[in-house]
This record gives sequence, structure tokens and C-alpha cells, in this order.
Amino acid sequence: MNQLPHLAEIFDRLKRGYHLGPDDEPEFSALQARSDDYAAYFAALGLTLVRHEREFYYFEPDNPENVPDTLPRIAVFSYIVIDHAANQGRPIEEYIFGQNFLMTALPHFALDRYATLLRQVDMHEMSDVKILLNRMEQIGWVKWLGPDEFRFLRPFHRVFSKCIEIVQAANSQGNAAGAANASQNPPTSSSAKE
Amino acid sequence: MRRWRRCRGRRCEGVRSADRWQVGPTLGNRAVERAAAIFADLWRSERSIGKLRAAPISLNMKVNPQSFFNFCAHHAPLLHALAEHGGELSDAEALRLIRLNPSAAEELPETTWRRLRELQILVPTEPGGALFFLADPVARLLTYLYNEANPATPEMIRGCVLSLETTGKRLARALDEEDVQQVKLAFEDISQPLRRIYADLNETQRAILAEVARFKTERSRVSVREKYQRIVHWMERYVEPMIEVVRPDGQLRAAFDETERLLHRAREEALFNDNLALVRNLRFLRLVGGHALRVFMQCRKEIQPLFESLRRSSFIAEGAARALEKLQTDGLSKWGNEYLIGLAALRFQNVPSDAAIALALRRVVDHPPQPPPVVQFSTEKDNPTELVRLMWLDSLPDLVRGDLPLQDLMAWLVRKFPERDTSDVLTGFSGLLFHRDFQAAFADATPRAYHTPDGEITASPLTLASA
Repeated sequence: MNQLPHLAEIFDRLKRGYHLGPDDEPEFSALQARSDDYAAYFAALGLTLVRHEREFYYFEPDNPENVPDTLPRIAVFSYIVIDHAANQGRPIEEYIFGQNFLMTALPHFALDRYATLLRQVDMHEMSDVKILLNRMEQIGWVKWLGPDEFRFLRPFHRVFSKCIEIVQAANSQGNAAGAANASQNPPTSSSAKE
Repeated sequence: MRRWRRCRGRRCEGVRSADRWQVGPTLGNRAVERAAAIFADLWRSERSIGKLRAAPISLNMKVNPQSFFNFCAHHAPLLHALAEHGGELSDAEALRLIRLNPSAAEELPETTWRRLRELQILVPTEPGGALFFLADPVARLLTYLYNEANPATPEMIRGCVLSLETTGKRLARALDEEDVQQVKLAFEDISQPLRRIYADLNETQRAILAEVARFKTERSRVSVREKYQRIVHWMERYVEPMIEVVRPDGQLRAAFDETERLLHRAREEALFNDNLALVRNLRFLRLVGGHALRVFMQCRKEIQPLFESLRRSSFIAEGAARALEKLQTDGLSKWGNEYLIGLAALRFQNVPSDAAIALALRRVVDHPPQPPPVVQFSTEKDNPTELVRLMWLDSLPDLVRGDLPLQDLMAWLVRKFPERDTSDVLTGFSGLLFHRDFQAAFADATPRAYHTPDGEITASPLTLASA
């Protein structure tokens, strides 16, 4: 257990909210090779190492009472990217991961609706987006390729997982409401005959 | 005037030939003759297939095939435009298309419009109506010529299967009655739905593959959700129900097995063993039976990855849209943590510094040794007062038992234990008064005064006896 390679570097990055993906060598390979050992080591410290189904790693977050301002900003920014991708008619993942993005070509301030949403999280201009992208780089979700160009990294899949979770929650609520309605409105005799 | 009646959802039968040719201004005589033959075949099959379909066609006016195909040869772009337009169109819309696709023969648009109606290429939606549509036989011919495909619905295949079953019953009856003519007719009738099923399956496969290719290459701004709905429609409308029909234990296979059994019976009864239609039908049954399931399994394999990808994309898009909508309607304060993606952030609280830890260790190391505390173990010589009192109270019943009966319990206590104070005397008095072994009663006498070391008790005498 004490021989886990790159332990200090891995811990140092994960504890700051970083997501270790294939772009993070050699730490990622070390984790891939002995993920169970690392998970056991961190579990002893009360930390849960999550291995995402799309093959990247992060520490399971707490549920802090005070949510940092960054989280809503990241969420709104990411949902807008997805919403824009959906309107392009291409599969979302192909759109997000299949190209590099120019910051100046982002749709975030191109539509009033998006701009209004961003204002709610105190983002008013592209410089705010730049700061946010820097933060997203710090957690391993994007990678700058130039002063204005970046690409999304694999850990951005966490946003997709969250989207699916939202839909499933909404569907299960809908099903529960439907079942409740059904119990309140039992089938009539004619439908029972059917 | 006779007309073609509208009949949607049909397809071209008898045009299965692998020979394809170009239609257009360069259409030669040979091609015209070939197309004329196909068109005639189309009409014939339309009459017979009309029995299978919900809305049979009625041809009321004989159209000269030579005139028809001469016109088509000069107006191929117009016909293609009409086919692509689809649905109903007004005379104004038709004239617009005519002007956009002028004839090579330089005729007036009004002349073209008149010829379109005379040749029954465009037919009114209802008698005397102002709206027109491309006649179905022409539409199917164009579909065939331009190598486009329309998918067959499961209902269409089921219709063919039903036709096969009905013909099978007729064949069985004819075999029982040894009616040669009816058997031969049944042989011919069996080949019709078989050919149609085969053609439908192939055309459906082509349509599905074309749709999949269109999905993959389409760059138009159709949203992911719309695309997903379209692909779900294809899966639910065509692929999955069709697999239900053609699977090994499905309706199609059962009808084929029964038909094959009847054909074998016809052959074994030796009357028809040299009938070409019988042999062809048997061969076709095996061909179509194996082909059907393979075609739709292939279709499913083609469409499934696209379906999965679009389904996931649709879910993701829906989730993001829900989150943004919630933010838009309720504002950030009510947005809730369920829309946020949490990040780990390890915060250290009240952690001593290295210097503090070193100081603490140094204090432990430098602390001067002290002798351990000595604990004094010794027993008390006298019984505790409370214990002595308790033991006295416990001994009272035994002490009084020897002096029973007593006329005055209080007097006995004061006399026997003069050192006991008022509290002890009263406690002992109460204990004996309520003891279960004794019976006590107050004497009806004048109260007396009893002296104790610390006071005086005034009470009526109480007699005590064994219970």
C-alpha cells in the first residue's frame, strides 16, 4: 500500500477538485493500474475515490451548506453549451468532444436568453467566461490550446451524467404523480372490462 | 371520364427488374418501350393487388402508353419536381412548377398543364376539385426510376400474409375437391403476395438505410430532440413491429409453413408436380422466408447505434434544458443544489502547525518525572452509624416477638432502647406497625407522653400482637 506510485501528486490534485483523465499522465496510468488500491488508501482517510464510467477519477464531493459561487457558474455555462449543441442537431458528445472551441465564438452572449441566465450567476461579459474557463481548467474539464482556443476534456462527462440524472428524476417524479393520480382515479367499469 | 382513384401507401410491383435506366430528354425508344411494358405491368398488378389493399384503384380512362411516355420523356425534370413536392397542389402551384421546369419541346405552360391532366399524371383529389396530386402509379414509377424507396409498414406485410393465408385455404379446398383449375389459379395467386413481400422488404431496407445515411450526413439545423423523435418513429413504426411479423415464430413464418405444406401436398398428389408456378412458389417461399428476418435484423443493427446515440443526446439535451428553464423561471435562489455538479474541496480546519507539534513533543520529552501517587488502603474499625441504625431497625421484629402481646408499643420502645432519639423511635414504631407478622390497634385511651433523649412524644397507646 505504501508503494502506491505518484500518491502525493494524485492526492494533491484530487483534493482540490481536479479530475484526473487520460490527459494527466503519469498519474492517470498509475490510477488505472491500481485504482482499487488507491481507493482503499483514500477510504481510510475518509475520502471516496470515484471512477467514472467514462474512465476518469475524482474525489466524491461533500454536500457543503455554503455552495461556492463557481459551481452555479460552471453549471449554467455547461448547460448553455449543451443547449446550443442540441440545437445544432448533432449528437451532443460528438459536438462537445469532436472539436476545439474559440472563446469568442461561444454562444453564451449571442442569445439574450443565455445572457439573461448568465447574469443570474453574476457573469456579464466574456472576461467572466474566461475566468470561469480558467477555473474549469483547474478542475480538469477544459484545456487551453491557445489564448482564445480550448477544448473540453473527458471529465466534462460529469455534466452529461448530471443532465441524465435530472431527466431520470423528473421522469420518476412524473411516474409517481401518475401512479398517485391512478390510485385516486380508479378505472371505470368500462375500462375495467377492456 | 374515368379516373385513377387516390390510393396512398402503395408501391410498385412488377418493377423489380435489376435493369435501371435514365429517364429524361435523352430517353430512347428502347427505354420508352421498356418503361411502357413496366407501366402496363404496373396497371395489371394494380388491378390484382387492389384486392389486397384497402382502397382499390379503378382505371376509368385508357391512357395511350406511347403518348404517356413521350410526354414523360420531354418532362422528366417536371415529373421529378412533382414527385418531390408530394401531397396536394393547386393549379397555380402546378403551373409554377411547370414554369420552373420547362419542357424541352418549348410548349406553353398551359399546354403542359392540360396534358398532365389528360394523361392522368395529375388527378384531382375529388371529382371537380381544385386540388391535384400525382397519381399513385406514376409516383411509384418515379420512385422506382429515381431509385428512391418507401418503407413498407407492418400492416402492409400483414395484409400480404393475410392474402397468402386466404389463398392457402382456397388451395386446400381445391386440393380436397381435386379442382385442377382452382389449384392452378391458387398457384398464381400465391406468387403475387410473395413477390410483393419480397419487394416490400427490399424497399423497406433501402428506405431505412437511406434514412440512416441521411441522419449521419444531415447538417441541417434540426434539433437533437427532433432527430431522436424521428429515429424513434422509425424504430417503433417500421423496424420493431416488422421483426415481430417476420421472426421465426411470427405470423409470416406460420403462413409460409402452411403454404409450403399445401404446395408439397399438391406436388405429392402428382397432379401438379410439373407445374412451374408450384416450383417457383416453393423456391420463392424459402427465399423470402430466410430473407425477411435477415433484412430486418440488418436494419436494426444499422439503426440501433444511431438510436442509442440520439437517445443519449436527447436525454442530455433535455436535462440541460430543464435545468436552464428552472433557473429562468425560479431564479438562482430557488435553483437548488440538484442542478449543480459538486466538486471536492478538502478544507483543513484547526490543524496544528509543525512548530506547534514540535513544541508539544518537546514538552512531553522534557517533562520532569514525578513519583506515582500512593493510595492508602485501610479498613474502618467502627461500623458506620447509618449501617448500625439500619441493622437495629431490621432486628426490631425479632426483638419484639418475644414480648408479644404488648399493650403499649411506644412504651416498650422507649423502655427497651432509651438511647434512641425521637426519629429512631418513630421509625421503629412505624416499621413494627406495618410489619406483616404483627397486628396493631390503637387502644381507646387517653394520650400519654413518652420521653426520649431529645424530646417527648404524645400518643395514644398501641397494642401489638402476632398476626
